[in-house]
Amino acid sequence: MSKRARELHLSFTFCSSNPYFLAALWREDPHVSSTFAAQTPPVVLPSPRKLTTKPRPSDQIYRAVVTAFSFSALIILALIGAFLLIKGFATFKNQGLHFFTTAGWSVQTNSAGKEVAHFGLSAMLLGTVLIALVALFIAVPLSVLTALFLTFYAPERIRNFLISVVDLMAAFPSILYGLWGFFILGPMAEYWAKLINKYLSWIPFLSVPQPSFTRSPFIAGIVLAVMIVPIVTSVSREVFSQTPLDRVQAAYALGASKWGMIKAVVLPFGSSGIVGGAMLGLGRAFGETVAVFSVLNIVFRPNWHILFTQGGNVASMIIGQWGEAGKTEISALLAAGLVLFMLTLLVNFAADFIVNRAVKSGR
Amino acid sequence: MTTVQPIRPWAPSNVDRTITATSVLGSAALTTLIIALTPLKGKLAYFFLFFILWFIVDSALIARRSGRKGIRDGLAAKVTLFGAIIVLMAVLSILWATISRGVKGLHLSLFNHTMKVTSFTDPVANGGMLHSLIGTLYLIVIAIIISVPMGILTAIYLTEIKGRAAGLIRFLVQAMSGVPSVVAGLFIYAAIILNTPLRNSAFLGGLALTILMVPTVTRTAEEVLNLVPHDLREAGLAMGATQWKTVALVVLPAARSGLITATVLGVARIAGETAPLLFTVGVFDAINPNPFKGGSGTIPTYIWSGLLAGTPESVQRAWTAILILLAVVLILFTLARTLGNKKISQGKAK
Amino acid sequence: MDNDEAKDESDMSTQSPATKSLSDVANKRNEKNAAGGLAPLGVGLEARGVHAWFGKHHAIENVSLDFSAGTVTALIGPSGCGKSTFIRTLNRMHEFIPSAAMAGQVLLDGKDIYEPGIDVTKIRLQIGMVFQKPNPFPSMTIGENVLAGLKLAQIKYEGAKEELLEECLTRAGLWNEVKDRLGAHAGGLSGGQQQRLCIARALALKPKVLLMDEPCSALDPGSTLRIEDTISELSKSMTIVIVTHNMQQAARVSDYTAFFLTEGGPGHMIEVGPTNEIFSRPKDERTENYVSGRFG
Repeated sequence: MSKRARELHLSFTFCSSNPYFLAALWREDPHVSSTFAAQTPPVVLPSPRKLTTKPRPSDQIYRAVVTAFSFSALIILALIGAFLLIKGFATFKNQGLHFFTTAGWSVQTNSAGKEVAHFGLSAMLLGTVLIALVALFIAVPLSVLTALFLTFYAPERIRNFLISVVDLMAAFPSILYGLWGFFILGPMAEYWAKLINKYLSWIPFLSVPQPSFTRSPFIAGIVLAVMIVPIVTSVSREVFSQTPLDRVQAAYALGASKWGMIKAVVLPFGSSGIVGGAMLGLGRAFGETVAVFSVLNIVFRPNWHILFTQGGNVASMIIGQWGEAGKTEISALLAAGLVLFMLTLLVNFAADFIVNRAVKSGR
Repeated sequence: MTTVQPIRPWAPSNVDRTITATSVLGSAALTTLIIALTPLKGKLAYFFLFFILWFIVDSALIARRSGRKGIRDGLAAKVTLFGAIIVLMAVLSILWATISRGVKGLHLSLFNHTMKVTSFTDPVANGGMLHSLIGTLYLIVIAIIISVPMGILTAIYLTEIKGRAAGLIRFLVQAMSGVPSVVAGLFIYAAIILNTPLRNSAFLGGLALTILMVPTVTRTAEEVLNLVPHDLREAGLAMGATQWKTVALVVLPAARSGLITATVLGVARIAGETAPLLFTVGVFDAINPNPFKGGSGTIPTYIWSGLLAGTPESVQRAWTAILILLAVVLILFTLARTLGNKKISQGKAK
Repeated sequence: MDNDEAKDESDMSTQSPATKSLSDVANKRNEKNAAGGLAPLGVGLEARGVHAWFGKHHAIENVSLDFSAGTVTALIGPSGCGKSTFIRTLNRMHEFIPSAAMAGQVLLDGKDIYEPGIDVTKIRLQIGMVFQKPNPFPSMTIGENVLAGLKLAQIKYEGAKEELLEECLTRAGLWNEVKDRLGAHAGGLSGGQQQRLCIARALALKPKVLLMDEPCSALDPGSTLRIEDTISELSKSMTIVIVTHNMQQAARVSDYTAFFLTEGGPGHMIEVGPTNEIFSRPKDERTENYVSGRFG
């Protein structure tokens, strides 16, 4: 029991057995007070005793230790930010804002023997966002449809099995998606890209400067989509299964078909949950490394043509450049890591905020 | 007196079932026909054409009875089925690829040889994974030793002490679960490798994985501790036990299987992580018995090396290794679920 | 009507005080109706040998009831005797429970609503339902709630929607309170207002039968009385079946009353008859015991 609860509990037991308190209660009784008020002198009600329960030394130590360890989450997060900033600071100082606005990435020694470095993340940031958007565009509708199917249309007997299968998807290691994406999905996705390009190239970002379709942001987006589908499906499914039964019955009683009921009750109720799930998936998409590295051709030039074989991704770039990086470049890569960290923190905060707001409004 | 039999007049009758079967088969037949006669080709064509034709055929049957509303309802049912099938096909494709390709490279000597004298591009029958299996084991043990106590203590703060910072801590744990694995590896590199004499080792890899494991353990442990009935805690306190004794001797043992589930889920989360290991452990081809000094082989970096080497032999090694990794992860997950379900059903029976 | 009253007076000595006051209430209602001189409209609903199961549990057994057009029938009985289950078999809401099964027939205008091949959503357009806990759609405004049924059924309404809105809200007794805030969200209404909104919503589909499952049990007495007035008004143009725990309400509101009981086994109907008879001279001893308050 918490300290406060103990205080309340004890003061209650005290009051109910204290004769003075009982007498005062009795005197408040309208039927009784009129007869007795004139006869007995007023009783002063004692003030509630202050209850102090000081924890024993062993408990004080226990509480201190546990609290300290709990703040480890805060400490770790702060340390991550701090160390990445400290070690990457040189890059921020040297490159300034160009770090975010330019796209070139090179370390050269000029004629005077001095090292000249240009580090620009813009292409990588653009690529990260593009790929994440493609992934969301594919994954969110698929996940919502799957969640609807699992909650409302799947036959009883296979429903639990299918749910386990989808949840199991979340356990696949990301390098597996990399392998599968490169060897199996790649050729198929390339064919689809050619098809899309053939018929839809009048849309600007679906055209390509040259007919080269392998390892494009589009393919990376598909791989990421498959990775985040289990997350969004699981969140959506939970939200859908919590739809208040009385509203569902109201819709059916008005003669709604199953889809009518879903449109009128389930989707409005679950919309913020779906958005929260999508943002969680987005956070995952921003940070995914090996899977994207396997299926993306990283080029330090901003590329809007998602079907074309050039792309950028901050996380994959970091592991790609790491192997041969010298001291200056390592600082730049750590700085890039800090940017990625901030970005994913932001998205996760937003997801938390949206989901909490939905829960509070009780919809 | 004849007993009346329960019936379900709303359930699909045999007639309904035959009609559905006929419309599905008919659409399939039509699809094949149309594809044979027109320049359309490929799996995509079959897939989409089948659903379009099935929709048309089924709508014709529904329209008579239920009109436009029925057609829209039928369309919604088909579209959701369509979405679920696409997702299922993706899962099955991944599983099939892993099993069919990985099995080809499975051989017994995988488990008692290392890559010390073999190159990744050598024939698959040479060399083995022993070093990476041991390395991954080291990683997991180190991660468990650090993250499980940390996670459980944080969960205890959230459920038993319920201090004023509980909301903040819960929020921070959630934030921590969103940290990308790359960043965890970079952090250990920036904080330890660049500042101390420590260099690549399994220990540092374990530290990086701890950052990823703690949020999972904390969240699951919190759920599990909340499931412990309050009466147990009150019984402990009423017998005069101190708070910490109640927690240690009453609450934690009651939640034991759930806490094991939390650990297992945490391990499943980190077992396949590759990126953080590249910065903290590196790649190593032999057994290294010392987790604190010198690089180690790990399963994910073994796969990574196989993939990067690029030859059919090395890629084959990668597939086999990932089959083993996937099997381990799936076993862990199933274990966690059965443990978790047993706990729930025991709780309900009480 | 006059013969009944004569019989009542002669049997007054055998009535217990509780049933006597209930039958007084029922008599007053009959007088009011007779004075109005309206012929009953609407369509007949008939249940023949209806059984219902939840999995293996036999919930109600062999209920046969005839709901005449334009009447109000109350279903009374202690908790758990199957009244709610029975009323849900009348508009095919029972089948949403996964393990549900039934037997028997329910005839609307002579046609069995459980016939295979029938579009169940069309049945529910003709047999409306109001639930115990008011359940307006919170994501819609008051106006949208009333017309929700039309949207869900995708019925193209010939005529002005505003007129239909006003008509339904007036019939439900809510128009004056919400006419200025039709665009406000439904969640801001009080319990009684929400329930009247649900009644208006059901009326928008112009059902022939309205089923009400304890519509006032979650409401305060003021709202209850207003809704009972609404029910009396509505009964002039449709058939109403109301499940109620409150015997006084049954006496105030209904023309016929059916008494349900479970004696350890499935619930079944003990007796049905004109309300004033059920409360003053029930034929079955169990009915007598229930309406005079000896149990339940």
